[in-house]
Amino acid sequence: MTLLRRKKRIDQFLDEQPTLVDPPDARGNAAPPQDLITSILAVDFGNVHTRGILIDQVDGVYRLIGRAMTSTTAGFPLGDASVGMERVIWQIGVETQRTFFRSDGRLITPEQPDRSGVDLVVATASLGRLLRTVLLGLVPNMSAISGQRAAAGTYVDIVGTITLDDDRSAQDQMNAIVLARPDLIFLTGGTDGGAEAPVMELAQVARLASRLMPRGHRPIILYAGNETLIAQLEALFVEQIFLIAENVRPVLEIETLESAQAQLGAAFDSFSAGQIAGFERVGEISRSSILPAAQSLNLITDYMGRTTGDTLVVDVGSAVSTISAYTRGHVSTSIRTDIGLGHSAAATLKAASAQRIRAWLPFVAEDNEINTYALNKTLRPAAVPERVRSLYLEHALLRAGVRTLLETARPTWTPDTVYDDPNQPLPPFAQIIGAGAGLTETGQPGMAALLLLDALQPVGMFRLKLDPGGLIAGLGAIARVNPEAVVQVLDGASLDDIGTCAVVSGTPRANTPAVRVRITNANGVRETHTVMGGQLWVYPIPAGTSADVRIRVVRRGLDIGGKMRLHLRVEGGIGSGGSTGLIIDARGRPLPLALTARGLAAQIPLWYANVTGAALKPIPEDWLTGRVTGDGDAGDTEVKRVRSFITPPRLRGGLLGARGDESPSMDDLTEERTGNTQARRPTTRRGTAARQPDETPNLDDMFGTNTAQPEPPKGKKPTKGDDDLNDIRNLFP
Amino acid sequence: MTSVTYFPEPRLMLPMTMIRRERLLPDDVDGRLEVRVNDRVTLRDVVARGTNPAPYALIDGERFFRLRNPDDLAKLMQVQIDELVEADQVIAQRGRRRLHSPITGRVTAITGGRIIIQSIPTGVELEAGLNGVVVEIRKGRGVVIETTGALLQGVWGNGKRAVGVLRAEPEGGLSAVTSDEIDIGFRGAIILTRTPLTPLSFGIIGSQQFAGVIAPSVEPLILDLALEAPCAILLTEGFGTMRMSNTSYRFLDELNGKQATLDAVQPSPLEVRRPEVIINVPLPNVGYRAPMPNVYDPLRIGVSVRLARGDHAGFVGEIVDLPNTPVLLDNGLRVRCAQVQLITTGERLTVPLENLEISGA
Repeated sequence: MTLLRRKKRIDQFLDEQPTLVDPPDARGNAAPPQDLITSILAVDFGNVHTRGILIDQVDGVYRLIGRAMTSTTAGFPLGDASVGMERVIWQIGVETQRTFFRSDGRLITPEQPDRSGVDLVVATASLGRLLRTVLLGLVPNMSAISGQRAAAGTYVDIVGTITLDDDRSAQDQMNAIVLARPDLIFLTGGTDGGAEAPVMELAQVARLASRLMPRGHRPIILYAGNETLIAQLEALFVEQIFLIAENVRPVLEIETLESAQAQLGAAFDSFSAGQIAGFERVGEISRSSILPAAQSLNLITDYMGRTTGDTLVVDVGSAVSTISAYTRGHVSTSIRTDIGLGHSAAATLKAASAQRIRAWLPFVAEDNEINTYALNKTLRPAAVPERVRSLYLEHALLRAGVRTLLETARPTWTPDTVYDDPNQPLPPFAQIIGAGAGLTETGQPGMAALLLLDALQPVGMFRLKLDPGGLIAGLGAIARVNPEAVVQVLDGASLDDIGTCAVVSGTPRANTPAVRVRITNANGVRETHTVMGGQLWVYPIPAGTSADVRIRVVRRGLDIGGKMRLHLRVEGGIGSGGSTGLIIDARGRPLPLALTARGLAAQIPLWYANVTGAALKPIPEDWLTGRVTGDGDAGDTEVKRVRSFITPPRLRGGLLGARGDESPSMDDLTEERTGNTQARRPTTRRGTAARQPDETPNLDDMFGTNTAQPEPPKGKKPTKGDDDLNDIRNLFP
Repeated sequence: MTSVTYFPEPRLMLPMTMIRRERLLPDDVDGRLEVRVNDRVTLRDVVARGTNPAPYALIDGERFFRLRNPDDLAKLMQVQIDELVEADQVIAQRGRRRLHSPITGRVTAITGGRIIIQSIPTGVELEAGLNGVVVEIRKGRGVVIETTGALLQGVWGNGKRAVGVLRAEPEGGLSAVTSDEIDIGFRGAIILTRTPLTPLSFGIIGSQQFAGVIAPSVEPLILDLALEAPCAILLTEGFGTMRMSNTSYRFLDELNGKQATLDAVQPSPLEVRRPEVIINVPLPNVGYRAPMPNVYDPLRIGVSVRLARGDHAGFVGEIVDLPNTPVLLDNGLRVRCAQVQLITTGERLTVPLENLEISGA
């Protein structure tokens, strides 16, 4: 596909989107015309890191020129996010030997003839208080659940839900809204041309509650219901900010979330600008609103999916994690504000459960050790594990967190129900991209690849990439003003390309040949290799070269993407941290994790060794008997006797662990069947919760935060109409 | 990381520093200020007041009186908007039929045949939280207060505040304190202990009326005891069974007997405040203005740092090298590190940059 066609597609997206927030011109700060923009700085604000990228023209083509990362400065001691932005821009200047600031400290814009300065600055963010939202819908399993799904793709905290079958009195419903002090009331309900009176009844409750709130604290109203009521509702809420989105259920069988998500994103944007110290200054410098990072992700994933093949992007942040998937013609983005490796580490433990985290630990670990590790990570979110044991804890948290996030996301990926079952394989993807320091800052591309393969358990063949610089977030913001730059940068291999991965599906027998590979490298040298079941194999292919690869699955019952033989050309990856080239994952799918710590101790260190090329680090026997507890990194390692709960392995299948009749099934061990999907009722007040024996202390009490999540969708998603390039959804405000 | 400089996490520990703290009402609370710029305030002084939202009673007068026109309700009212009413007070009457208020509160609206009464809202008082001078006003929200003193920041607090004399635990630790042996000087004091808090510790804390406790750590299993403790609890190291670093303990021990304010803030992603203790120390001379903490400089050789993780967590050292290339750790991560020489032992360690903290000196 030519560059011109791709540009036209992204232009098509942008041209057909209604403008739902003030464009830069409306602020009186006009962005330069697109053809005059040669250099662009994009800054992304996370809870721990602020990242920046510089895009400039090289021989007339936009390319990623530099990137930098620094600590976010919105919190103590500076309390000003713009300082972090300045630091990251300064660092990019040092790296690229360019000057961006005047002597008085002001940013030089536009770019000067001496190449100092920059034409345009754009910004995205995933930090800030969530938008407290009360959801009003007619029917729990229709409009209300669609409203929840729309909210799941944005930085929204649903603090209350009211539906028609709510048995609370009008007074109690009104008080529920008033006492929740929402920033936004999200009103859904009625198909287009359908129910009117019930929707107006709910609207009256919302209006009454709003009028009882102080003028300066009245919530924004977002309406995404029966379109015939728009005029009436505009009149009803004349004294408040009233946003309109497409009906989330225009007809019973169709769900349309993108418009509502875009409006929620716009509301979050205007809300967060007033919440985060320094964002006003960022807005002045960037001359445009700060785009929510998740929206950016959604836009670029959609574009990549349409142009290069089905795409999956997973971003594991400190406080928030996001998955964006383009599959079968549809893009969907899901956010979990209770999953992250830093600020949300303890919340991740609560969301995923200690049992699911322990499923990835190659040693005996009590709940207390896991809990202690997670809690200490919330206190020092940027901390890096220094010891082997703490690395395993960190990565177990990451794997379990992503799998929990995946369970939230998958039901929204397609209108079909086949992918609702998290035990079913992922749909095939052409590329999988990881973001977030936990994935991108390991310094070992093979390790990052292993984490993605374990956490997502994809199948078939695909390209693995990393986004260490926040490129995807930045490109989403750039797309609004210079889509050509986005097209060219994505074409220019700007993400860290780990390599090509081939995953064997089925159950390979351990230590038995599963796959034979014949590689003819760029020099014409031919090599063959047999990949044993239960292992991964990495063949490095230098950047800028390629290799001819023939893969043959040698056992029945196994395949790679449904095929027994593959012949392909594999390009060497390019990345700041190196690349792997070709990865063969012959462990099987579903991933046969051992059920005991001793079994995991035989698997997981081997896998790390497989992907990094380092010597195998066997697990000390003390770790398998529970005599050593504690995370050495926190300085509280102590030796004590702990009752071992390891069941003696009755090996069948050798390396892959016990498979006795009395062993718990994988479902039991990982709670996937019993479900991690029970709703936690949102709480709006701090307090000491009544504690059950053996229960993890209440996070809200410990940290004074509300980490509640809305109830996950239940039931089946309705069938959607055929997707069509002309059926352009709202990708962004 | 591709950046060429690194700005480390500050965890302040300063013998004399200028301290500025912002005190704000919650953002969903309407408030009014009680102080002005240049006012002197103490820990418990109220600098702003606000009200929490209170529930409303919705009384359907139209249905009660069977009115044909809901607007007729206004003619039957016995009270007016903004009037305070008591529970059971008659608020409307038609002939012998009387409508009583179900709650005590204020009449907020009479509309559409309904009477809306708001129960008496609870007040929110914003305390100064430290002794100092108001230097800035945040209209309707709060103030900025400035003071000078010694400062140590911890990592976690149980959300309470305390003021009292800083007292190091007796020999034998907290467990040596019993009701028979209690030195009266411990009552109402902020106690410094170098050992992790245990259930026994909390029993002593509960019985001995301490104003606050500064401890290194507590196990998650007994975290509820810290949250429910009657006094302020501040942790300097984290969760688990870590002992207090010698550096932190010596720093506080040298301030033994001095008046201190303890703000045991609970951390959260958007919380700008840190759990900390501010100790009153005499100024070297009248009019002396202490410097602000130095938190703006990137890491460089010669800077004093504190190790936040690992076997040497809490140790203080000096940076002797900052290699540009990432270092391969034992666990397989390859990250940017600093070479740190420990002050106490002279040992040289390789430490990831993210695991270093600066004291602000």
